[in-house]
Amino acid sequence: MRALRSRVIPSSSAETPIKKSEQSTEIDTAAPASDGVEVVGTPSQSSVPAPDSGAPRSASVMPQPRRSLRLASAASRRGGGASAEGLPLPLKSCPWKGVGSGEGASPCEGEKVEAFTLGRRGGMSDRQNIGKRKLEDDASLIDSKGSKSLRSRKSVTKRAAHSDAENLVNAFDIEENQWIMLSKITDLDGGDTENREKGSCNDEVGSFRSRKILRREDKGKDKIGDNEVIGLGAESSGSKPGGIGDQPKYGAEEIGKAKIVCDNMLSDCSSVIDLDMEINNLRQKSESIGQEFLNVAVAQRKSHRVKAVGESSSSDIIRRNFRNIARRSASRFAHFNPDDEGGNNSQVKAERNASAAPRPADPEPEDWPGPFSTAMKIIRDRGTNVSTLQSNSFFNKWKSPIIWAPRRDRHTQAKRLIPSLLELCLNVLAANANAITSLDGVPDMPRHKLSQLLCDSRKMNKHFFDLLVGGSPTEIRVKDSSWLTEEELSESFKRCDTRNIMVLQLDQCGRCLPDYAISSISCSASCFPALSTISITGACRLTDDGLATLISSAPSLRSINISQCSLLTASSIVTLANKVGSLLRELYIDDCQSIDAMLILPALKRLENLQVLSVAGISSVSDDFVVEFVAQLGHNLRELVLSDCTNLTDASIKTIAEVCPGLLALNLVNLTKLTDSAVGYLANGCQALEKLILCRNTFSDEGIAAFLEASGELLQELSLNNVKKVSTDTAISLAKKSRKLQSLDLSWCRNMTDEAFGLIVDSCSCLKELKVFGCTQITDTFLNGHSNAEVKIVGLKMAPLLEHCRVLIPDNPLKY
Amino acid sequence: MRKDTVKLISAEGFEFVIDKRAAMVSQTIRNMLTSPGIFAETQLGEVRFPEISTTILEKICQYFYWSLQYASGKETEFHIEPELTLELMMAANYLHT
Repeated sequence: MRALRSRVIPSSSAETPIKKSEQSTEIDTAAPASDGVEVVGTPSQSSVPAPDSGAPRSASVMPQPRRSLRLASAASRRGGGASAEGLPLPLKSCPWKGVGSGEGASPCEGEKVEAFTLGRRGGMSDRQNIGKRKLEDDASLIDSKGSKSLRSRKSVTKRAAHSDAENLVNAFDIEENQWIMLSKITDLDGGDTENREKGSCNDEVGSFRSRKILRREDKGKDKIGDNEVIGLGAESSGSKPGGIGDQPKYGAEEIGKAKIVCDNMLSDCSSVIDLDMEINNLRQKSESIGQEFLNVAVAQRKSHRVKAVGESSSSDIIRRNFRNIARRSASRFAHFNPDDEGGNNSQVKAERNASAAPRPADPEPEDWPGPFSTAMKIIRDRGTNVSTLQSNSFFNKWKSPIIWAPRRDRHTQAKRLIPSLLELCLNVLAANANAITSLDGVPDMPRHKLSQLLCDSRKMNKHFFDLLVGGSPTEIRVKDSSWLTEEELSESFKRCDTRNIMVLQLDQCGRCLPDYAISSISCSASCFPALSTISITGACRLTDDGLATLISSAPSLRSINISQCSLLTASSIVTLANKVGSLLRELYIDDCQSIDAMLILPALKRLENLQVLSVAGISSVSDDFVVEFVAQLGHNLRELVLSDCTNLTDASIKTIAEVCPGLLALNLVNLTKLTDSAVGYLANGCQALEKLILCRNTFSDEGIAAFLEASGELLQELSLNNVKKVSTDTAISLAKKSRKLQSLDLSWCRNMTDEAFGLIVDSCSCLKELKVFGCTQITDTFLNGHSNAEVKIVGLKMAPLLEHCRVLIPDNPLKY
Repeated sequence: MRKDTVKLISAEGFEFVIDKRAAMVSQTIRNMLTSPGIFAETQLGEVRFPEISTTILEKICQYFYWSLQYASGKETEFHIEPELTLELMMAANYLHT
C-alpha cells in the first residue's frame, strides 16, 4: 500500500506528499472513523469521486446529527487533508485526489481493514490537513493533526496543505452548516497516531475507527461522533450514471471545495448535491476528474442523487463503490504522470467515460459529447492544471489565475480622441439646423447622422423633416417622430417624390400615424415602388386595415418593423404573408401584445425567405412555437431575437441549434429557464454565431467558457450582461478564441477581476467597445494598464453617460 | 522639402502644399498616396479634387494641422464658419477625415 501511495504522490507537484498522505488518510479515515468524522474529500482534490460511493453509505446509516463532511477538494488538491474522506470515502476520494483514491479503492474491495490500516499510516498527514480544514471540528483534532504531522511522514507538507485545506474549508464554511470537515476523517486516518494524541486509544482506536467506518458503511451502524464522513458528498455531487459515474462528476465538481458529507445520507444526499452544484458553479478551477461529465452533471445530478440515495442502503453498494473506486483509481495509478495533471485527469476521465455512456474524450463532434463537452473538459483541465500548480491557499484559487500585468506606458491614449472633421461639422450643423436651406447632394450617411443627432437632442422639427423628405430622397430615417403631427406628416409627404425611396423609418410615430393618415403617405397604390425597408415602430393607433393599406402600396417590401404596434393582430401577419410572403426577409414584431404566437404560425411558415425574426416580449411564444417555426424556416434564418419570451426552455434552443446552422445572431435576454445545456447545444450547433446577446441568464462560467472555446471564433458582438457567474474561465476563453470581438458587454459580472478584463482587452485586438456597468470591482490597474488603444470603456463612473446608447446607422436597407 | 510634402489642388486650380504627415490624416489621401501601383498621385505627389472648392480645401488643410496639434497634446477648438459647414461636411465625408 505504501508503495501505492508513493506512486500516487508524485502526481501532484507539491501535493504529492500530501496526496499520499491524503490517500493514506483516506484509508485511515476509513478505518478509524471514530469520530464519525467523515473525511469526505480532500479539499483540494476532487475528492468527490471517492467519497461518492462510500460516503452515502456510511452517511445514511448514521442517525446522528447530520453533519455533512466537507470534502475539501481544495485540500485534496493540495494533497492536504483530503484524507478526510472518511471511511468509505477514502476510497472514493482517491480518484479526485488523482491518486490516492485509487489506492484506497483497491483495497476497499475486500480489504477494508487493510485499507484502513494503510489509511492510518498514511492518513496522518492527511488528517492533519483535514483537521485544519474542518470547520467545526474540534481544535483538538487540529492539534492532534499538528502533532500528527510530526509523526506523519509528510508532516511539513501536510502542514501547508492544512492551511490550504483550512482555508478551503473556511471558505465553504459559510455555505453549509451541515458540512462537516473532512478533517474529522483525517482524524480517523490518524487513527492510530492522532487518536492517540487525542487521547483515544491508539491502534485500537484506529481499528475501532476502522470498524466504525466499516460499520458506517454498513449504514450507520455506528456514528462516529457528530461528523460523519459521508462520502455522500462525493456521491451527491458527482452522481453519474452508475456508481462510477458519480465519482467523476463529484471529483470534478468538488475540486477546490470541501465536500460536506452528510450524515444522513438519504436526506443529505440531495442537499449535498445541491450544494455541490452551487459550489461547482463557484469553483473556477477544479481538478477535473469527471470533467467531461460536467455538462451532464448539472442536468443529471438529481438523477444521480437519487441513485446514490437508493444505493446507499446496502453494504453491497458500498462494496460496489469501492470496487468502482478501485477500478477507477487503478487506471490512474497505471498511467500516472506526475507532470501532467490534466493527462491524469483525462485518463481517469477516459476511464470513467468508459463506464458511463458518452465518451466525451473524443474531440470529434458527436451527438452528445460534441465540441462543447470537449471544451468543457478543456476548461476543467485548465482549472485543474492551474490549481495543481498553485500550492497556495484555497483563496488563491479563486483569485484569477490569469497572468496579466498592466503596461506602464500609456502613450497611445490620446490618439483616438481626436474628433474627426465630419463629427465637428455635424455638430455645427446640428446646432444650426434651422439655418440649413437644402440637403441636396448630401449623401445618405451624413443625412442619417444629422437626423440622429437632432432627434437625440430633441431639436428635430418640421423644417428639417422637410429637408429630409424634400426632393427625391432614397432613404428617410427619423428615429424619433414623436414630435410629428398628422398634419405635418401629410404636408411634408405631399411634396415628396416617393419614387426612389428605399428606406423609410418613422419610429415612435404613434401620434402621427393612425389609419386615416396612411392615405396621406401612400397616396396611391404602389406609390412606394422601391420601398424595401419600412419601420413604423410605436404606431399605436394603427390597426390591421391601415397596415394592409400601407403594405399594398409597397409591393417590393422586404423588411418590416412593426414593433410596439399594440393594435395589430394576427391578421396583419396573414396580410403580410399574402402580399409579400416570399419577398419578406425581416420581420420585427417586438412587444405586439395583440399578436398571438400560435395564431400567426401558419402565416409565418409562408414567409419562405425570412432571415430575421424578432418576437421579443411576446409572452405567447412557447417552445412549441419555436420548434415548429424553426423546423420550417430554420435553414434560412440568420437572426433570431427571443428576448423576454420567458416561457422558453432548453428544448427550443436544442431545436434551433439542430436546424439553424447559419444562425448569425441570437438574442436570449431574460430567458431564465435556460441552463448550461442550452449553451452546449448552441456550441455544437450554431458555430457561425457572430452576435450573441445574453442578459440575466443563469449560465455557469464553465458553460460560457466552453461555448467560446467551441464556437466563439466568429463572435463579433457578445453580451454577458448580468450573467453573474462569468469569471476567469470565460475571460481566458475570450482571450484565446474571440479575436474578432468588437463589442463586449460584461456589465454586472462582478466575478471578473482586473486581470481578467486586462487579458480580454489586450487579447481581443478588434475590441472597440467594452461595457462594464455595475462592475465596481474594476480599479485603475485595469483602466490605466491595458494596452488596447481602440477600445472604449463604457459604464464606469465619471465616464460620459449614454455613450452606449448610440445606435449604429445601418449601411444597407437589409441586414443580411 | 519636396520629399515629405504633397500638393492638393482644388477645383479652381489652387495648389496647397502641405506636409505629408498632415495629409495622411485623411484616410482617402493616405490610401491614394500609399497604394501599391503606379498612380499619378504617388508619382507626382499631388492630388486633384475637382469637386472641392478652394475655401473648403483651405479649411481642410487647416484641419489637418489642427489635428496633428491636437494629437501632440495641444487641445484647442477648431472653429468652423456655419456657411461652410455643409460643404465642408460633404468634403470631409468624401475624404474620410
